[in-house]
Amino acid sequence: MSHVRRAAAGALAALALALALARAAAAQLPLEPGGVTQLPAQPGAHWVWVNDFSFFALPDGKAFLVDGDSGKMLGLLSTGYSFDSLVVPRRGGVIYSPETYFSRGTRGTRTDVVTIYDTVHLAALGEVKIPPKRASMMAMMAGQVLTDDERFLLIYNYTPAQSVTVVDTRARKFVGEIDTAGCALVYPTGPRSFFSLCGDGSLLVVTLNEQGRAASRTRTKELFDGLKDPLTEKGVRAGDTWLFASFEGALHPLKITRGGGIEAQPTWALFSAAELAQHWRTGGLQHLALHAASGRLYAIVHRGGPETHKDPGADVWVWDLASRRKVQQISARNKVASIQVTQDAKPLLFGCSFESNRLDVYDVASGRYLRSVEGLGITPGLLVTP
Amino acid sequence: MRNPVDGLMERWARDMARRVSRRRFLGSVGALLFGAATLPLLPVARGETPRPAAGGATDPGDPQTCEYWRHCAIDGFLCSCCGGSVQSCPPGTEASAVTWVGTCHNPGDGHDYIVSYNDCCGKTECGRCLCNRNEDDKPLYMPFKSNDYNWCVGSKVGIAYHCSTARIVGVAK
Repeated sequence: MSHVRRAAAGALAALALALALARAAAAQLPLEPGGVTQLPAQPGAHWVWVNDFSFFALPDGKAFLVDGDSGKMLGLLSTGYSFDSLVVPRRGGVIYSPETYFSRGTRGTRTDVVTIYDTVHLAALGEVKIPPKRASMMAMMAGQVLTDDERFLLIYNYTPAQSVTVVDTRARKFVGEIDTAGCALVYPTGPRSFFSLCGDGSLLVVTLNEQGRAASRTRTKELFDGLKDPLTEKGVRAGDTWLFASFEGALHPLKITRGGGIEAQPTWALFSAAELAQHWRTGGLQHLALHAASGRLYAIVHRGGPETHKDPGADVWVWDLASRRKVQQISARNKVASIQVTQDAKPLLFGCSFESNRLDVYDVASGRYLRSVEGLGITPGLLVTP
Repeated sequence: MRNPVDGLMERWARDMARRVSRRRFLGSVGALLFGAATLPLLPVARGETPRPAAGGATDPGDPQTCEYWRHCAIDGFLCSCCGGSVQSCPPGTEASAVTWVGTCHNPGDGHDYIVSYNDCCGKTECGRCLCNRNEDDKPLYMPFKSNDYNWCVGSKVGIAYHCSTARIVGVAK
């Protein structure tokens, strides 16, 4: 090869390289501005809050927002020590979160607050300081609830004296404390009333005045035997009736009467005699769920017999409340301790367990497993649909 | 099967709930706790033949396992795995003053014992040997039979829960 030909070949190669670099420069990704994602003003029909009580690291409670359709995590709230659950009002816009903090993580001054978050930015809008008494316990939906008109937030206290803290959500102020000695948790029964479950099998029915202070406190007669066959405290509400399952599978309907009173209706059996003999029982942390429009009750069940009332289950059975008949059985892909059902016409069933940090998603109509969402905290507990 | 102590406690609790106001009840409990502080709580079996150490013939099993007989109603991290023992808290923690109790059958001597599950408090979770058994466990509205409360509520150091002990405080039969 002559010098001239070699020089020409070198020039061609240099030209090709320059063209390739130019093409690459033209195809490069544009520079990007930073930013913070916002959520839509209206929650999706298949969204769910997965509340992590974080039992291996109690100071670090959190709540994950997940879209059940895509399986995507949408955001997170950081919610302090011994966290139970967010309280999400129907009217939207804000989220209430009863939280506890220590000034030195696990020691120092204890401060309890209700933090108010906005639903678009998941940012803290403000807080209401409450007495440092909120119950530290396994997460329970009845640990914190709103009155029916969402004016007052009610929080169960255990020090071990029992009481209920009242917060005015409109004024964003602590109102006061209501003594519930001998009775636990909070179950709303109207705009100005609630009841607590008492150790002797009665209920404490409390009505509030317009300021959120106790107007009346009435103890009912004994409605259940807490020693022989206790009601689990994990009830769900179907309109004007609270439904509680007993350890042995009796469903106790407690009907709300006018003025916020309670009338115990006849109990009925979730399990047949044969099923009980085969040791079928309900169990878990949030073991009941309700689809209001169809009047269907969902329960986590397992075969375990007596004293397995907290055991997770690999089956979800479904009852029609009007006919009291079992109408569906859903086999879970993984054992679940908590379930929740969305309230739309094509509902999803969510399930999780504190034994993993995974959320499983099922189609209710077919009972088909759809997907799992992994990595949701440490010990996910209560499921709340916004 | 119900044992006589449960029956006695039930009658006592129901009777107390009917008769006694909260203030008076708390006053009585306060007096009891003051008494307990003045006269340190002694094992019920004190004065009898000393009990062999855990794991001996009359106290069979490994306190670092969930299956150990005293853990029949426990819910939490076993202090035996956390630098403490079945009856004492790990260094630097404080034992809760109030707690829940269970009745557990000791296969070593055939007796049923009342076991007090005092929580140890003031540090973050130990995180070792998590154990949840629910023999005779009751819901949260029967607090002193419920293992779902954080019993560090009764301690001076606040509610930071570390682990749970399983101390014998009585013989049921």
